[in-house]
Amino acid sequence: MRKILLSSAALMALGGTAMASCPAVTVADPMGVAAGAYPQQYELAEFQTAANCTMEMSENPDIAAMNAKIRGNPDMPALADRLPSEPLVVAPYEMIGKYGGMFNALSNATEAGTSDFMSVRHVNLVRYADDLTTIVPNVAKSWSWNDDFTQLTFVLREGHKWSDGQPFTAEDVEFWYENLALDPKVIESPKDYVLAGGEAMTVDVIDPLTVRFNMPVPKPGFLAHFANHYAQGFQPKHFLGQYHPAINPDADTLAQSLGFDDGYALVKAYYGSSDWMDTPTPMLAHPDKVANLPLDAAPTLESHIVTSETTEGRTFVANPYYFKVDTAGNQLPYINEMDEIFVGESEVRLLKLVNGEVDYKAQALQIDYVPLLMENQEKGGFVVDLKPDITMPTIAFNVTSEDLEKRKVFGDLKFRQAMSVAMNRDEINEVAMFGLGTPQQYVGFSPTPDFVDPKWEQHFAQYDPEMAKSLLDEIGVVDKDGDGMRELPNGDPLVLNLQVATQGISIKIVELVGQTWRDVGINNTVKEVTSDEYRSSQSSNQLDVTLWEKSVPLAVVLGNGEIFIPPYDNYFNMRTAMLWGEWVDSNGASGVEPPEYAKQMMEDIKVFQAAQVGTLESDAAGRKLVETMTSNLLFIGTVKEQKPIYRNAAMKNVPEFKTASYAYYRTYPYRPAQWFLDE
Amino acid sequence: MVQFLRFAGIRAVLAFFTLCLVSFIVFSLMELVPGDCAERYLAFKNSQGAQISVADIEAERIRLGLDRPFFERWVKWIFGAFQGEFGDSCILRLNINQLLGQKVWLSIGICLGSLLLAYLIAIPVGIIAATSRNPFLNNGLRLVSYLGLALPNFLLALMIMLFSTVFFGNSLTGLFSPEFRDAPWDWPKIKDFLSHVWLPVFILGWSATAFAIQTVRALMSDEISKLYVTAAAARGVSGHRLLMRYPARHALSPIINSLGFDLNRIFNELPIVALILTLTEAGSLLIEALARSNDQQLAGAIIFFLTGSIVAINFITDITLALVDPRIRRSILG
Repeated sequence: MRKILLSSAALMALGGTAMASCPAVTVADPMGVAAGAYPQQYELAEFQTAANCTMEMSENPDIAAMNAKIRGNPDMPALADRLPSEPLVVAPYEMIGKYGGMFNALSNATEAGTSDFMSVRHVNLVRYADDLTTIVPNVAKSWSWNDDFTQLTFVLREGHKWSDGQPFTAEDVEFWYENLALDPKVIESPKDYVLAGGEAMTVDVIDPLTVRFNMPVPKPGFLAHFANHYAQGFQPKHFLGQYHPAINPDADTLAQSLGFDDGYALVKAYYGSSDWMDTPTPMLAHPDKVANLPLDAAPTLESHIVTSETTEGRTFVANPYYFKVDTAGNQLPYINEMDEIFVGESEVRLLKLVNGEVDYKAQALQIDYVPLLMENQEKGGFVVDLKPDITMPTIAFNVTSEDLEKRKVFGDLKFRQAMSVAMNRDEINEVAMFGLGTPQQYVGFSPTPDFVDPKWEQHFAQYDPEMAKSLLDEIGVVDKDGDGMRELPNGDPLVLNLQVATQGISIKIVELVGQTWRDVGINNTVKEVTSDEYRSSQSSNQLDVTLWEKSVPLAVVLGNGEIFIPPYDNYFNMRTAMLWGEWVDSNGASGVEPPEYAKQMMEDIKVFQAAQVGTLESDAAGRKLVETMTSNLLFIGTVKEQKPIYRNAAMKNVPEFKTASYAYYRTYPYRPAQWFLDE
Repeated sequence: MVQFLRFAGIRAVLAFFTLCLVSFIVFSLMELVPGDCAERYLAFKNSQGAQISVADIEAERIRLGLDRPFFERWVKWIFGAFQGEFGDSCILRLNINQLLGQKVWLSIGICLGSLLLAYLIAIPVGIIAATSRNPFLNNGLRLVSYLGLALPNFLLALMIMLFSTVFFGNSLTGLFSPEFRDAPWDWPKIKDFLSHVWLPVFILGWSATAFAIQTVRALMSDEISKLYVTAAAARGVSGHRLLMRYPARHALSPIINSLGFDLNRIFNELPIVALILTLTEAGSLLIEALARSNDQQLAGAIIFFLTGSIVAINFITDITLALVDPRIRRSILG
């Protein structure tokens, strides 16, 4: 009798779903359903209208067990009370996935080399679609700008919940901005990206689902910032707020009862005193106190939440309250658990990759690994793709050198043109990059946006030693003492000391460049130094030539324009013309006044950042920036290389990446919540 | 007895000075490396995409107290160290006591295990080798011990890992299986630990064994041809009894004496082997702290513990020696 009852119930349920079920739309097969407002994803109502169906939601059968592994999480309510009433519907790339499995990840150490794996569970208000140009909704359901780009309003999802089941609201955005990002007791000085024109913004909570950023000056790039950045523009006010003295007057007492000095200490224990969303949790930072705390880690909106952490590695389980479903109504993520181990030695990491002990990896894989990885693909059960990097090895002459005669020569455009055509980029490509690279001139942006005339990519990028020699003759850099090497116009010897830090550029490339420069009579020596030594020499204006990797995507320039302003980047990256930088910083009080073209770029970048990308005004400003930067050869490009991306062959719904780089927050555009292991 | 206490007291004072001196040397040497912890920490943050300015580095330096003169930092550190408080690791930003925790014990355990293995093999084998005239045995032993002496440990580790990767598809790394990584110590975890720890013990033990075999054999060969042995043999003592009674006993004194040196050598080799095998013990952290993060606090703490244990072992061997060897016993105990 019971059997009959059960089976008829099952039949009815089946019939019910068949009536109402939505087509399992994928990117590969749209099944006649029209695309939504944004590529590869829909809002629930939008999808139901487009497909003329009612979506039935279903969940991972193991999700209750996952919830039980999150210490301090209460028992779960039913799926309908965990999903937002407006979940984000994601079209999987190839097929509806299978629940389960363990994702094995490999990082260098706690907080080192972890961004690749962190991006797999990452969330932010918006993200870049996999075309790397369209910004699409993520945690935020929608956004709108006012006309002059001084007000950005986000609308959140109705019923969206944190991983502990508490509601996620506009106040969580305000809390992040006002009480974490701008609170000097949490983050000592506010980062540039939370400011507009150097000033703080204000945040208005309009209603629980609507929040607005008000900026003192236009900053259209602020939206792009949320699409590619690790700092998540929301934090759990209901949880962190209880320990934050500005929110809860009893915070200090509460924190002291849990064994911390004050409320801020406890906020920092969970928030890591940093906006880097991958800092140690109390499990690692306060193992002696964590048992007294209500949760092991702060609640999250990410697809997985950390359940154990040591200096050896971490484990994660699926977030039972994650806000996305696939087109068949299955709550994402598909993958149950994740296990990350820390291995500091690159050779050992390579060995583990060759053995197929890892499910996905791109960070810290070098082109040198490619032959060995390729050779073992089948045996290890993994796949390796090669994709272009965003940055490329770049060379710059110090146009504000302490040696005035050198400063004059390096400042001469003809000298820089000569040095650029004296490099054999094809040879560099063959010898150092297995012929997989693309010889290119430096244009600042990477990948080169459509508004840029492609001719600039090859501007003075040909190999022409005769031209180099005649240009050098023209400016008086000739061999005066007959030793075969050219001297400075005043007769002083000219020897370029090429200091190389291998973190920034391959020594093989520098040696090749040095050789072809010697062929046209420019003497030079190559010396390897540590990154620290290189950086301090660069910053103290001691280098003749700076050598590092450089280039940034359009998305980054929109929020941060420093690559067009002397000294053209920050302490850790490639800089040149330090004394121009000093002049700019001191408003002309000290340093060396930059030439007109450098001042022009500083004006153009302001115009570019204040205009909305894609408009005629923005394109014109962008074109001007590239033209000024490249025609003056302040930076000289070499060869853009390719980097390997490794994944388990059983990992499905993984598309081909467009780049192998950090710039778009690694895997974030490729929607890892719908990846699954088909084993 | 008074003399013995004095002996122990002098030893303790010497040990204290050794610890201070070693930590001072570590601090000074690390001061010479360009860049400091604030810079390194922010550099790796930056390599992950964070935008960092020179002002950030200054703020970090002040937060870590790196703006103080290094002598002052060392004095503060050494005072803390003798009270069992080592401060925070600068790069990992964790309390060092918690960070090291059982790691120091794992390292000391691995080293003592290797030493034990080495002596268990070397003493009987060395004695046999010294007395045996079998050329195969002798040449075989010579080959094994030369390999042990000549082959760097890290190379041996890499070769074993490579072999295992090629033939078994397993890189043999780590000290625990993933499921036991965070588990409390119980019998299954101990079994899992033993199934991993044999490899580093074997690798470190091999060269130590090779070394010890050479020593035991040389000492035995020396003793065995001495007159008192001949005399004993003439009195009719023979075989096993003859060996154990006199030459072996004399030959073993220097071995006990060199216990500290042997342990020291193993300690020195441990970090590299640990790094290769990704062992989660203090040795690999030491390399990390010295070579990558310039973390004076952490490096100082680990060296403090390792030096401390070597000093302790030396102290114990001195006492043991005093008890075993009547000539030394008499000079100390009066």
